[in-house]
Amino acid sequence: MKDRLRDALKSSRADYTEVRVERTWSSAVAFRGRRLEAATASEDVGGFVRALHKGCGWGVASFTSLDRLPAMVTRAGELSRAVRLDEPIRLAEVAPREADAVLDLDGDVRGVPLAEKKRLLEAYNGAMLAVGDRVVDTQASYQDEVSEVWYANSEGTLIYQLRPEVVLSGTAIARRDGVIEKGLESLGYRKGWNAAQGREAGFRTVAERAVALLDAPRVRGGTYPVVLDPELGGVFIHEAFGHLSEADFVYENPQAREMMTLGRRFGKPVLNVGDNGAAAGLRGTLPFDDEGTPTQDTVLIKDGTLVGRLHSRETAARLGEAPTGNARAISFRHAPIVRMTNTYIAAGRDGGTFTDLIKDIPLGVYACGAFGGQTLLENFSFTAAYGYMIRDGRVAELVKDVVLAGNLFQTLDRIERVAADFQWNQMGGGCGKGGQFPLPVTEGAPHVRIEEALVGGDVPA
Amino acid sequence: MIADLLDVVRRRVSGGGSDALWRREERTAIAFESGRLKSAGTTEEAGVNLRVVQGGRVGVAGTTAADAATGDLLDRALASAALGESLDLTFPPPSPLPPIATYFASAANASLDSLIDVGEELVARLRRDGCQLNVAVEREVSETEIANTAGAAGRYQATGVAVGVDITRIAGDDVLMVYDQYVGADLPGAADLDALVRSVATRLDLALTVVEPPEGALPVIFSPAGLSAILLPLEQALSGKAVLQGVSPLGEKLGSRVFDERFSLTDDPLAAGRAGSRPCDDEAVPSRTLPLVEKGVVRAFVYDLETGARAGTASTGHGRRGVFGKPRIAYSNFVVGMDGKRKTDDGIPGGGLAAGIHDGLIVEDLIGVGQGNVIAGGFSHPVALAYRVERGAITGRVKDAAVAGNVYELLKQIGGFGNDGRWLGTRFAPSLLLEGVSVARR
Repeated sequence: MKDRLRDALKSSRADYTEVRVERTWSSAVAFRGRRLEAATASEDVGGFVRALHKGCGWGVASFTSLDRLPAMVTRAGELSRAVRLDEPIRLAEVAPREADAVLDLDGDVRGVPLAEKKRLLEAYNGAMLAVGDRVVDTQASYQDEVSEVWYANSEGTLIYQLRPEVVLSGTAIARRDGVIEKGLESLGYRKGWNAAQGREAGFRTVAERAVALLDAPRVRGGTYPVVLDPELGGVFIHEAFGHLSEADFVYENPQAREMMTLGRRFGKPVLNVGDNGAAAGLRGTLPFDDEGTPTQDTVLIKDGTLVGRLHSRETAARLGEAPTGNARAISFRHAPIVRMTNTYIAAGRDGGTFTDLIKDIPLGVYACGAFGGQTLLENFSFTAAYGYMIRDGRVAELVKDVVLAGNLFQTLDRIERVAADFQWNQMGGGCGKGGQFPLPVTEGAPHVRIEEALVGGDVPA
Repeated sequence: MIADLLDVVRRRVSGGGSDALWRREERTAIAFESGRLKSAGTTEEAGVNLRVVQGGRVGVAGTTAADAATGDLLDRALASAALGESLDLTFPPPSPLPPIATYFASAANASLDSLIDVGEELVARLRRDGCQLNVAVEREVSETEIANTAGAAGRYQATGVAVGVDITRIAGDDVLMVYDQYVGADLPGAADLDALVRSVATRLDLALTVVEPPEGALPVIFSPAGLSAILLPLEQALSGKAVLQGVSPLGEKLGSRVFDERFSLTDDPLAAGRAGSRPCDDEAVPSRTLPLVEKGVVRAFVYDLETGARAGTASTGHGRRGVFGKPRIAYSNFVVGMDGKRKTDDGIPGGGLAAGIHDGLIVEDLIGVGQGNVIAGGFSHPVALAYRVERGAITGRVKDAAVAGNVYELLKQIGGFGNDGRWLGTRFAPSLLLEGVSVARR
């Protein structure tokens, strides 16, 4: 394969050309209720070419028939020439390298019979159903894959990567008359079969919680001190801040650049945020990004001040900053764009425990887990999976429909305490941007306390 | 291609039957970033999805690998079937397919330069100081073959064109985004581009003034784009799968009046020139127009072959399949009726409904639609783009407001239907005026 890539690059007449070829074996098992939905094994193969002529724009081509590789190199070159640009595209320097980056397969999923995978998921699905009659429906899924990725560019970089992945998810639906509640379990690892073992307890817990939520009151809408658990804290920093730190948001937009000027204060000195594509063993971890740039730990907010952003080679050159290894594509069907990897709020340096964080809150909300989150630039909305009221410094009753909404800048600035109990949330799912979903990412945070945030959308009576 | 595959299946598998889908797609896309053409791309993709029934069990397998042996694909499908649940799956017999134009030669043959011309025209007409303007133009040509061992077969070519425009305006920490699109089976005509320009320009101009949001239980107009939060619960609840699982609030309501008697919903795979139109679904079931809600009464749920078999009812022709995995239920074109209103759209948000409102909102876009417990009908979302209406006129954009309510309650009595019915992708809807929506400030 490496020779095929070299030959294809040699045939290109463009000033810069890159080629990516992927072969992915995957299998998937899904249950709905007690019934198996499907157990399947798939193979996905294809390639991607991107070419750049001087004074022109990008020409890109993707294809599933590898025989078409030489023709698609030619086509990408032609497409590039069709795009005339006054201001040329430049790429930041990255030293060419040849490397084989073979990640630990941790129990190669390709060697495990589909029947074993079905048995494993049946047990996890069964753990949710066993919680009781109130659990009226479940969805459970197991997905794994092993991909081989070859990347080469005309500057001499040639990289082979072998990447495993395994993802488990479970949804328990509890119902009593007209009231329907759900619990969600989601686990994802850049590992193999071994990482998928021994996960019953998590599935059981979410089903128990769905049942408990049937009796829980809705949180009363209003403004409260809010403590985010590490899962929601991670989702929050990814959605509400991370996307703004992607340099393709600012590099063509002077007003956006002004809003995201390095040195701007974004929060109190307790706030430290970064993105680390080189962290060991996480889903967003990759030795090299999809432009062949090594990944790294990029500090974004240091002691409350904006100090960095995430780059591709193009955005880095444009802003005169260093590439950070954040150009990623979900598959050969897409061009790499600036994406997060493993995004985190760092542990508070003298942050203390969760108990310390809540002990002086007379009335507040402890928001836990995430059903989802969306940001529209400066505004965000997050739906916590569940929550508790905090009363007189202690965790009190379970509440539901905890939706946090607010303005990013105000809310980041209101993060007043950050605990020391940092953890990575090894979840499934992924991030969506520019039509590319789901991209494997990880988020991490400790417990985080926000002085004041709007909870719920109810109009006070 | 498919016929050969099914021949191999017939030789190796006795009894149960099989079906397969082969699809090849070619896409050409250009992108303007910040008003300048930045990239041009092409995509060629082909794959096959095979389903077999053996010993009363169903299995599926798919591949994009052009070098994959037919035997290997069948082996994987049989391995999948060996684990599968028992199901009495009957494949549809041969039957004539309705005539529906899905392929437009003008779109298929459009040159790269003519696609660039479309983008350049939009850039020229929508460029504004202080705004970042992105335009994307995409053209797809596809070929689909579906066949089963009962003899049904479908084969068609289709074209699709999508033109998207988004404008971002940042002033200090205020971020305004206005987006609209044209999606159709053929190239946009002059009138389509005019409508797109008018829609984006009008909504941008109206948004430049920021006003205080109102508060309370108020009349809210959901524009065709803003209706997503209102329609998503219904799309989920009308799926035969949700009904079968016992999680649909509409599951027991077939034949009952649940909504305002002027409210109707139709799934229409035979709408001329639309992106979701096709002569048959991906399981070779012939297309037909299906009323889902008529005069407020629930008339039908949508099924694919498998869900239909489990529910003891026929497929309604709503099976959709990709290369990987098994078919699932999907709507074709989802149409909200206009209650007899004639379309006289002037591009002003609200479809003529604002005139009767003393104090309220027009919602164009919400944040977080699809999060949470959607099917139950409750929603609570901050606004992404919304306008305040005071004494019958739009006074400006509101920020930092949230709307909440329950879809099933709000649709019992609809305050009015707009005259601005339009397509957005595969959905057609007018603006709807809903009364008593909770509006909160923050």
